[in-house]
Amino acid sequence: MKNSIYVVAFAVLFLSACKNDQKQAESNEMNTNEMQMSTDDNHSSNDETMQSDKTMDVATQKSGLTTAIIDGYLVLKNALVNEDSKKAAEGGKMMLTAFSNFEMTKLTETQHAKYMEIAESAKEHAEHIVKNPIDHQREHFEDLSKDVNDIISLVGTDKTLYQDFCPMASNNKGAMWLSEIKEIQNPYFGSKMMKCGSVQKQIN
Amino acid sequence: MSLFKKVFLFLLISFVGIQFMPTTRNQSNVILETDFLKTFDTPNNVQNLLKNSCYDCHSNNTNYPWYNKIQPVSWLLENHIKEGKKELNFSEFGGYSKRRQKSKLKSIKSQIEKNEMPLPSYTLVHRDAKLSKNDKELLIIWMAKLKDGL
Repeated sequence: MKNSIYVVAFAVLFLSACKNDQKQAESNEMNTNEMQMSTDDNHSSNDETMQSDKTMDVATQKSGLTTAIIDGYLVLKNALVNEDSKKAAEGGKMMLTAFSNFEMTKLTETQHAKYMEIAESAKEHAEHIVKNPIDHQREHFEDLSKDVNDIISLVGTDKTLYQDFCPMASNNKGAMWLSEIKEIQNPYFGSKMMKCGSVQKQIN
Repeated sequence: MSLFKKVFLFLLISFVGIQFMPTTRNQSNVILETDFLKTFDTPNNVQNLLKNSCYDCHSNNTNYPWYNKIQPVSWLLENHIKEGKKELNFSEFGGYSKRRQKSKLKSIKSQIEKNEMPLPSYTLVHRDAKLSKNDKELLIIWMAKLKDGL
């Protein structure tokens, strides 16, 4: 197992070094994904929620399966940035539809079990977002962001996303969110502190 | 017969009538292995608070007051308990995924902090279920610690 971690780490290094050479990068990426899966299996006994921290360092897989979920999430995120509770509820609804239409048959067996756990949690948060005022929506958005982030590291995406973090959100404990733009627009505070936060990582 | 009497009679008959409608009672003699208190090592004072202030609507066992045998109160409470258990069921907490346990612990903490739970309408009748300032602090700190340890 230790070996495979080194191999993945090496592959990632190699991959980032070859960013300009698109063709080579692609073939490396495929290898990385295969290896990522095998390390996933080894890690399966670990805390599931921590899983993302480990695999996020590895290149994200390309997958269109998650597109509808992410689209709903981004509508929700932008509505919270604009402090539009009604629109946020719409984003929540879009996510619920996306989860019920999700093609689970396209997942591997290991992915499937993890997906089910994350989706169960995410759907619950989305349901709360649909029927609550903005403070409560933001509370659930915090956990929902982690869930969506974990789904992306599990299944992948073909979108370019930015993983942002605001240290003052969640009563100064800090909270993350995903954004489609590089510029910081804070969904936890909206106009009160629009610029609070920084990009931690770029996905794709 | 005056209109008033007719209406009164109608209401009386309806009231007696609905007493015969069946309700499902949320009671169980079995304490599941997945019960919150069996899953986590919970100190006695926290146990008592949870049982007194939360378990009536958030577990498989409600300690029913006498008036709940009267309709339409029974219906109201039945629905209430159904909703409550859907959101959070302490009897099944151990069966939740780690992810869900964590998010539930966070919600428990936040609901107590904001005085949204236990419901004011519930503590109005169940005076002993009302949480004092110290009770709240104890629960909030304990839940946060439990969540961080998961």
